[in-house]
Amino acid sequence: MKSRLPVLVAFISGALMILAFFGRGTVVDAVSDRALTWQTIVGGFSLLLGAVSIARVHWKKVATRHEDRFYSLCLLICFVVMGGSGVFYGIGSGTLFDTLFQRIQAPMMSTMFSVLAFFIASAAYRAFRARSASSAILLVAAVLVMLGRIPMGQYIYHGLPSWADWIMTVPSMAVQRGILIGAALGAASMSLRIILGIERTYLGRG
Amino acid sequence: MNGTAMGISGKSFWERLQGVDRRILYTLIFASVIIPILWPLHLPTPVTPESRAFFNAVDSLPSGSVVLFPFDFWPSTLPETEPMAVAGLRHCFRKNLRVVGLSNVGMGGPSIADRLLDSIGAEFHKTYGVDYVNLGYKANYSAVLLGMGSKIADIFPTDHRGTRLDSIPLMRQVPNYDSVKFVLIVSDNAMTDYWVALVNARYGLPMVAGVTAIMAPKMLSYIQSHQLLGLLGGMKGAAEYEQLIEHSDKASRGMDAQSLIHFLIIAFIILGNFGFFMLRREQSQKGQN
Repeated sequence: MKSRLPVLVAFISGALMILAFFGRGTVVDAVSDRALTWQTIVGGFSLLLGAVSIARVHWKKVATRHEDRFYSLCLLICFVVMGGSGVFYGIGSGTLFDTLFQRIQAPMMSTMFSVLAFFIASAAYRAFRARSASSAILLVAAVLVMLGRIPMGQYIYHGLPSWADWIMTVPSMAVQRGILIGAALGAASMSLRIILGIERTYLGRG
Repeated sequence: MNGTAMGISGKSFWERLQGVDRRILYTLIFASVIIPILWPLHLPTPVTPESRAFFNAVDSLPSGSVVLFPFDFWPSTLPETEPMAVAGLRHCFRKNLRVVGLSNVGMGGPSIADRLLDSIGAEFHKTYGVDYVNLGYKANYSAVLLGMGSKIADIFPTDHRGTRLDSIPLMRQVPNYDSVKFVLIVSDNAMTDYWVALVNARYGLPMVAGVTAIMAPKMLSYIQSHQLLGLLGGMKGAAEYEQLIEHSDKASRGMDAQSLIHFLIIAFIILGNFGFFMLRREQSQKGQN
């Protein structure tokens, strides 16, 4: 019963969503709408679970005087300040939470992402080598697309943008489409396995 | 010397070129970003067919149409995504379209949406609740995207500011997707795929997307299948859109720097490979001797 009930719930929920997809305005659709509202509520609780989990992990590091305890302490302070300001003073424009986010967190995250440009440039110089025929093809394609996609490209050779477009819309898209179809088939088969109770690893057992 | 200039360290020129100090590379990158910001080059940005299609799709909407505007991006990609969102909002408000903003990115999405909607709305003297609204964030994107098709108020009982939807004039006229004319997605993650798969496929809502440059090649397949009507790819796409709406802003200014950086990276690749082949030739000659 301990495993049959979750499998039954998964089967009913999955089958309901599949049927609702093809039958708008039916009773099944109405029931699935209710299930979707429940899903957003469950989603909210899962966020809470994540917050509690991260707080516990880092509190443990501080309490046991782990060598990284100062980083954990920093995380906990930020966690309490951001969380507390949001819960007690609101999250709308002009609130403390919003100011902390707009003035500190967003610029820091953008900065971290921007630093990637330096690493990419360094890696391009050191690691992007035409060691084999396939890597040479990749390298030539990358150079053509990069040149074709910037304004300077057309000054070097007026046909470069159309070459870049061809690479993007023919060979690159063929590969992308193959990956998309493969991933969709994989997701569909995995979903079917879960709905039919063949895949049960989500229950915590192999 | 083996026919090659040897340095004091005993390393050949090609060996030293391979191991060039990364601080030199970083300095060159830094200069390539700063110089065009201080002294703009005003390089022209040719408009791609995908960006023009994006512009035409928004431009052809009748005045007063409701546009769903997901701000599905993280703060980390703001330099790329914010110019797209700003240009998109300017275009919508200029056309007198009514904008319903929301976000499927919990960390920061609703705050960014609030800031951009308020600032661009003020530029066009638009009123919150009448011309635009921010629904905020709800967890579990698949339930959100599908649930809004039946009743938006079931998923978002209140907007981001805590006001009940039934007391917001705009939302009283938008109970579900049937009242939405168009979706304008700005995203830096897989949310565009979900909008296409769950909303375009099931409800047939026409949509366009502005995505980061790294995501654009994947999204082109949705353009070819007409599931997306138009696409903006990265800062270049945003710069093209700014050009089309005739309002130059951050993306147009950033394109000079991006052009130089691309050029520099290509130069690094060519120089690195040239050095690599010369070193290999030198080593094979040494081996023969």
